[in-house]
Amino acid sequence: MKIWFKWISLIAVIMTGALLIYGTHDMPAWGDPNSPANSHVSPRYILEATKLTATPNIVSAVLADYRSYDTLGESAVIFTASISCLFLLRRIRKEKTSEDK
Amino acid sequence: MSDQLPALIIIAPLLGAFLTPVIGWRYRQFCRPWALMMLAVPVYASIGSLIRVISSGPFGYNLAGWEPPWGIEYRIDHLSALMLVLIAVIGLLATINAKAGISTEMRGKEPHFYTLILLQITGLMGIVITGDLFNIFVFLEISSLSGYGLIAHGEDGAPLATFNYIIIGTIGASFYLLGVGYLYMATGSLNIADLATILPDLYHSQMILVGFAFFTTGIAIKMGLFPLHFWMPDAYTTAPNSVSTLIAPLMTKVVAYLLIRIMFTLFQPEFTISIVPIATILGWLAVVAIIVGGIKALAQTDIKKMVTYIMVAEVGYIVMGISVMNRAGLTGAILHIINDACMIFCLFLVIGAISYKGHGREIYHFQNLNKKMPYTMAAFVIVALSMCGIPPACGFFSKWYLIMGTIAAKQWVFAITLLGSSLVNAVLFFRIIEKAYLAPLGGETHGHDHEEEIIARDEAPASMLIPIFITAAAILILGPLSGKIIAAVIQHAVPAIF
Amino acid sequence: MLEYVLAKYNYWIYVVLMMIGLYAMMGKRNLVKKLIGMNIFQTSIILLFVSMGVKKGGATVPILMGDGHGHGEQIIQVADYLNPLPHVLMLTAIVVSIATTGVALATLILIYKRYHTLEEDEIMAIRKEAAAYKTLGT
Repeated sequence: MKIWFKWISLIAVIMTGALLIYGTHDMPAWGDPNSPANSHVSPRYILEATKLTATPNIVSAVLADYRSYDTLGESAVIFTASISCLFLLRRIRKEKTSEDK
Repeated sequence: MSDQLPALIIIAPLLGAFLTPVIGWRYRQFCRPWALMMLAVPVYASIGSLIRVISSGPFGYNLAGWEPPWGIEYRIDHLSALMLVLIAVIGLLATINAKAGISTEMRGKEPHFYTLILLQITGLMGIVITGDLFNIFVFLEISSLSGYGLIAHGEDGAPLATFNYIIIGTIGASFYLLGVGYLYMATGSLNIADLATILPDLYHSQMILVGFAFFTTGIAIKMGLFPLHFWMPDAYTTAPNSVSTLIAPLMTKVVAYLLIRIMFTLFQPEFTISIVPIATILGWLAVVAIIVGGIKALAQTDIKKMVTYIMVAEVGYIVMGISVMNRAGLTGAILHIINDACMIFCLFLVIGAISYKGHGREIYHFQNLNKKMPYTMAAFVIVALSMCGIPPACGFFSKWYLIMGTIAAKQWVFAITLLGSSLVNAVLFFRIIEKAYLAPLGGETHGHDHEEEIIARDEAPASMLIPIFITAAAILILGPLSGKIIAAVIQHAVPAIF
Repeated sequence: MLEYVLAKYNYWIYVVLMMIGLYAMMGKRNLVKKLIGMNIFQTSIILLFVSMGVKKGGATVPILMGDGHGHGEQIIQVADYLNPLPHVLMLTAIVVSIATTGVALATLILIYKRYHTLEEDEIMAIRKEAAAYKTLGT
């Protein structure tokens, strides 16, 4: 059972990896400045961000202004995780013990 | 004011979530009214958005004032407005229902519970409302993380089920992110509308094919489509009742919405029909999902677990409607998203009420329950009729469209599976209804006095009954109204090519 | 051929890293190992994204020199700076991965409290025993 399961997961992993490598075939070469990823949306950030947001660091400008809604979501994720951990690990024993006594 | 309605849909519950722990710090009793208030706002705002979409067509909302491909935008069309209303209403009703459940299941943790519920609803609505692929991932994770926290607080075995859910759910979300990455690499954009204009030139690119494959696999995991459903029954069965009531009906439906969005908005139907064999794969997986879900549900004696296996089959229904790729099928799928959310929601409400009253979840515990909880059981019968596809209830109408879709696509096996599944549902629910309504009182060995004691009415509290009544009424009303819903909303959501 | 490998080897390394993580998540029977596999998996995606933003030929980090108000004295060449967008996306993804790990660790604490082990096989044995005991009891 255990061995069988390991083989299944190994096959699944190899299939996933093969699919991913198949997808790299017509990817733009690594570091190509003219790849679509580097030439469609991002040039405008580099050209405009400093002027429009008065921030020298373009990553910060995009993070906190252009895509600030993502960052709001990001902080909500951290908040969710912390509340989840509190919810799970916090013990509420006070009320019960007073009732028991 | 009405221009800002879309922003209100997300901001109100999110702000509510951030402030709930602060309020709960000193005044725990105010958490509930605060959460309900903050959930009533999106109900108002989403209905307003739906009305606006119906009257003047889809509209966008640019966040922080940046134009779409550079900034993030909300994109509200007929389908997403409909989903928003569904999520907001079910979220509000589930929170009303949770009052009694919290007092038994998570006493003393009300602030955390309401915070996570608010975040859950924020996440689900964020997935639906946004027009940006990466933003969908962020909100998918908000809803997943709050779901993990809520589910793990359940009965014995819940933490282990949750851990497996975290692992498999992270694989799903990461596959989705990989899909986003491959698409970004090929196009350089993250905006769905922008991508939809760029992608047609690249349809034969391997990158796009692989990206699409990872999108669908990730979504199938999150949705619980057949071979990847194994996390779902455990997680939803062990979760606290007030939690599974909220998450079970909504999570799978929202992800099904995402599948429709990716197959028909991000990629054009030409791609999904002629270039990838996705329809065939999804269709046959759906057939297996319906059969396996039905068989597994028949094998269960625990009704909550039975409902989760029914959900596996219902996901199969929706995917089947999508996979036949014609107008009737997709209409049926969208209609079934709504109807099924109501039905599953009502089932979990009933289970929650029964558990709250101290009855077990095994089928034999249902004996004579109609005498003890007549209103709850009446709602249960309505859901059962709807599940079997008896006409006045809404389940009939969506199944009708689904079957018409499969017949139009000449997929006879699909049609037979759908019909057979209705029969299975009839068996599943009738054996419970029989136990509740038709079983002899008390049994032969008990005396007459004992019978009188059993029959005493012991109905669930009002906070549970009100959502049950509203949902049961909705199941009855949505059926006759489905023609109107299709004419006003769903027909605009189906791609014009069909 | 060599050119092809040089253009692609970077992506392949991340794919291999991803496969290692994925195998640990699926094949390993220890819950902590699964969690570590999850982290490897997410890290590989982060690296894949960041490598999309690379521009060869002297591009540098996207921080502009100057007073930050850009009065036009400086001519910005797009090719001189890396693509900032993948970095932004991955800042969010890193946070998401940390948050997921945190919640997973919290559930692991609960699991350990309940079963006093983190080996999946041992937990399954304990659960089977408990289920058998329960059916005996009723």
